[in-house]
Amino acid sequence: MSADETIGISGGKTDLSTKCLGAAAIGLGGGLIGIFMGVANGDKNPFLGWLWGTTFWLSIAIGMLMLVMLFRVFNSQWTPVVRRQMEHCLAVFPWLGLCFLPLILVVWFGGDQAGVLWNWVNPASDVPVAGEVHKVGHDVLLQKKSSYLNVFFFSIRVIGYFAIFCSLSYWMRKVSFTQDRDGDSKWTQLGHNISAAGLPAGALALTFGAFDWFMSLEYHWFSTMFGVWFFAASIRAGLAVAIILCFVLATRTDLKGFYNFKAHQYDLACLSLAFTVFWAYISFSQYFLIYNANIPEETFWYVIREINPNTGERTGWFWVSMGLIFGHFLIPFLSLLWYRNKVEPNKTLKIVVWILCFHLLDLYWNIIPGRIPNSESAVGYDIRYVLGTQLIWGLFTLVGVGGLCIWAVLKSYRESDAEIIPVRDPRIKASINYHE
Amino acid sequence: MSSATTDMVKPSAEILKKVKPAKLDEVPLVLNKRSLHWITEKICGIVEAKTPSWWWWCFIFSLLIASFTGMGLLVLVSSGVGEWGNNNPVNWGWAIVNFVFWIGIGHAGTLISAILCLLKQKWRTSINRGSEAMTVFAVMCAGIFPLFHVGRVWFAWWLFPIPNANNIWPQFKSPLEWDVFAVSTYFTVSILFWYMGMIPDLAVLRDRAQKMWRKYFYGFLSMGWNNSNTHWRNFEMAYLLLAGLSTPLVLSVHTIVSFDFAIANLPGWHTTIFPPYFVAGAIFSGFGMVMTLLLPVRAVFGLHDLINQKHIDNMCKITLATGSLVGYAYAMEFFIAWYGANSYEGFAFINRAFGNYWWAYWIMVSCNVICPQLLWFKAIRENTPLVWVISIFVNIGMWFERFVIANTTLSRDFLPSSWGYYSPTVVDIFTFFGTFGFFSVLFLLFLRFLPLMPLAEVKSVTPMADPHAGKH
Amino acid sequence: MANKGIKYGLTAVFNTASDIYTAAAKVRDAGYTSWECYTPMPVHGLDAQMYGLDEKGFPIRSKVPRFTLIGGVTGFFTGMFIVWYMNAYDYPLIAGGKPFFSPIFPFPVFYELTILFAAFGTLFGMFFLNRLPRHNHPVFEHPKFGRTGDDKFMIVIEVEDPKFDDEETKSFLNDIGGKSVGLIREPEEF
Repeated sequence: MSADETIGISGGKTDLSTKCLGAAAIGLGGGLIGIFMGVANGDKNPFLGWLWGTTFWLSIAIGMLMLVMLFRVFNSQWTPVVRRQMEHCLAVFPWLGLCFLPLILVVWFGGDQAGVLWNWVNPASDVPVAGEVHKVGHDVLLQKKSSYLNVFFFSIRVIGYFAIFCSLSYWMRKVSFTQDRDGDSKWTQLGHNISAAGLPAGALALTFGAFDWFMSLEYHWFSTMFGVWFFAASIRAGLAVAIILCFVLATRTDLKGFYNFKAHQYDLACLSLAFTVFWAYISFSQYFLIYNANIPEETFWYVIREINPNTGERTGWFWVSMGLIFGHFLIPFLSLLWYRNKVEPNKTLKIVVWILCFHLLDLYWNIIPGRIPNSESAVGYDIRYVLGTQLIWGLFTLVGVGGLCIWAVLKSYRESDAEIIPVRDPRIKASINYHE
Repeated sequence: MSSATTDMVKPSAEILKKVKPAKLDEVPLVLNKRSLHWITEKICGIVEAKTPSWWWWCFIFSLLIASFTGMGLLVLVSSGVGEWGNNNPVNWGWAIVNFVFWIGIGHAGTLISAILCLLKQKWRTSINRGSEAMTVFAVMCAGIFPLFHVGRVWFAWWLFPIPNANNIWPQFKSPLEWDVFAVSTYFTVSILFWYMGMIPDLAVLRDRAQKMWRKYFYGFLSMGWNNSNTHWRNFEMAYLLLAGLSTPLVLSVHTIVSFDFAIANLPGWHTTIFPPYFVAGAIFSGFGMVMTLLLPVRAVFGLHDLINQKHIDNMCKITLATGSLVGYAYAMEFFIAWYGANSYEGFAFINRAFGNYWWAYWIMVSCNVICPQLLWFKAIRENTPLVWVISIFVNIGMWFERFVIANTTLSRDFLPSSWGYYSPTVVDIFTFFGTFGFFSVLFLLFLRFLPLMPLAEVKSVTPMADPHAGKH
Repeated sequence: MANKGIKYGLTAVFNTASDIYTAAAKVRDAGYTSWECYTPMPVHGLDAQMYGLDEKGFPIRSKVPRFTLIGGVTGFFTGMFIVWYMNAYDYPLIAGGKPFFSPIFPFPVFYELTILFAAFGTLFGMFFLNRLPRHNHPVFEHPKFGRTGDDKFMIVIEVEDPKFDDEETKSFLNDIGGKSVGLIREPEEF
């Protein structure tokens, strides 16, 4: 069955796959132009945008990978119908690895501008230290952690993360798709065992990934909680996309009738509610402990997300922060408490799209704000604006990587000979008959 | 539009034809196809039978052990907190360790009754009542320590938001005040949850009661429950809501306990992962205790059909998972202590592993991280006595975890001139040792007078509860 | 059962969950309104069989969540009020260089009180909706009532139902498969 039939959009002028490839070409092309300009001018913004746009899709995929493994470990009865759709999404990891490549290439071959995104890469980059601007190479703090933060080890790690993600997703797909053909229960057992071992591996990969990609943007700052934040954020994003995808498929394809809004969607929405609370718990605890301890080496990270330390005035980041508290926690939390909002697809859909938008903002808030070294300033640095060119470059990347990911998922639907539901899964009957 | 999409559509017949689930041998939750009546008889029988003599022996023995706490507290109250080993620089000795230890144990009960309920893990039904009882009793044991550490215990009411003699209110900026709210809320809600879940079972005991005192006792407690669908409907909703409330509650309680440490700007204490790390550790220790308690109970009462290998397997796996999470947190702490490049923080962790309390640290690591890894193996999970021994190691390891956190940091902080070494006194040891007796006394009373398992929930997981039996 | 007392209703006993599940729908379709099912455990989907679905196709759900919500909101604002009143209004004290009142540092207190009050709201809401405590109930008079907590299922159609008729209802209960159909009387003394 072709993807276009599957998604039920054939008959248009151009099919969806081609449109997605087009979007990928335009978006990634735009983003790459930004990267070239960034290397040429020493402009950090296109890189920040690229990182933001790529990790948005990456976080969704990571969230789904962790969910699939969790479902398997829990021997969950109701999930096989949903799990199959997520397994198709796991096809995106190699492509995401490809999208990460430009950043690594710049680290290696960027010459003078190798440290344009992660300033610790280049000893000649500037860093604000105690009101003055120093060279990264002379920073004691970096010297102490240079056995971890160095180009070679960093690249090995990034390759390692993608190796873990790709191989786990390969196996998650393989055990499920092969079972469709031979109906052997050993695949269920194997999937269970791989997931049990894969969860710690995935957890470590995403933790250190978050340290390397996001936390080391300000390598002075550190938080033990940071990996857990990225886990919570990823799961929320993965659940939101799963709900959207299942809605699309259940209204337009053969998934119709198998995916029950009062049962499957209700439970996905409950999980979404739970992880909304979990995300808030993690984010709040991190803020709360740093706020209460009030140690300058940690607080600056939150300070630059609230005020401009040169003037003491609130910046746009303050409003982004408030937006996250109310938009990413309070509003989804209160809406998801209502039963109707979890079972009526058009209401649930609005909420999860909302969550996804704010997840994008959450990543933006974690990645973009930064200290721009400036010896003229009172504190030795200025703050990056909320609305800068990074947003434009980021939107290019967002569209480009998104197009590529959707194309890869459609390709998986089209080319793998898997049924729309895992027909030979031992628990498929329980999952089909699952009702409220 | 909404009604069009929510209405159940008939699934495609073509795919339905292909649905041929692979055969998987799964152990049912209730073995030997026991009938509903058998379940009622079995569980009510425990309470209704004549008190067995072993119960009396255990009860007297536990009372004896509990008297140690009584003696310890008597000495403490009559002569003052100087009787404990707390002194500069370690002003928080065993008391805080014991408090966190016991409160942590309680968390598994809430996890089983609340979080597993939300996750629709049906295997929880036969172990949840016992674990909830464990929660309530563990919190009672925990409460002893903060209550008596104030020294003049008759002023303990100052902890509550009541103005004292000078019209001063409690200070809400202090994590110890948050503890008061967290622990008292936790205790209250745990009792509510435990009690509410018990109401239908108490009604069954009431209806079966022969003796007058039983009729009144269970009749009063069951509040006139009548098994009607209206009752069940509201009950199920309320149960689900309490589960939903207890889940964030259980997370918050150990989070706030972790704030006791993490708010202080001391190396080894102030680290942002403390809240989830403490919660994972609490659940881990609690599961250790659940297995320590329920494996003997299962053997004594012959409950092998209701708590079978599947239940033990699952408990082992959760122990393994939470143990590994704790290991993850240890690793993060160490990594960030180094990555943060703060020399005091770095020293605190080197000192934990190789300093004056190195032995406590390695006991902790081997009991908490290494020992549970044995549970990866099926053969070990199926060896019940060995599982029981591992569960004891988990309890020991988690006590040492709190000891390591509290004591290594305090005994060697910033200035070497103020370093010291903490040793407990006999009063410390007596007080703590006795709490195990106190806990056992309460648990034995529970076994004797209250239903050990939720009848309705255990019945719900049998095939007889399915209204579509034989129709799918 | 004595022949004295006020008539309460007719009972019919069923042996399995699936029997009462099908029977319940028939009682509903016959148009009875004051009737009840008694079961040893909650039977999944029995609600929909007894009350049908609402106009949008959803099962009619219990109203306990409303009480929980009221409790939770009350708790949150109680927490806020006590912290503000005690530490910022009645006796302000400077501690830790923090403001007298802020939503951040006392958040644990708001949070715990939210949960505490919501839990009480839930329990008492359940009691209220179930009209508990009510230590006696006419159905307790039925000799087989005890078995509904064990392994039997029972339908009771009450006398106050407008459709209730001694003979007709009795034969109806027999028709839908009820065993040992009989009358419950409330003792007059109460």
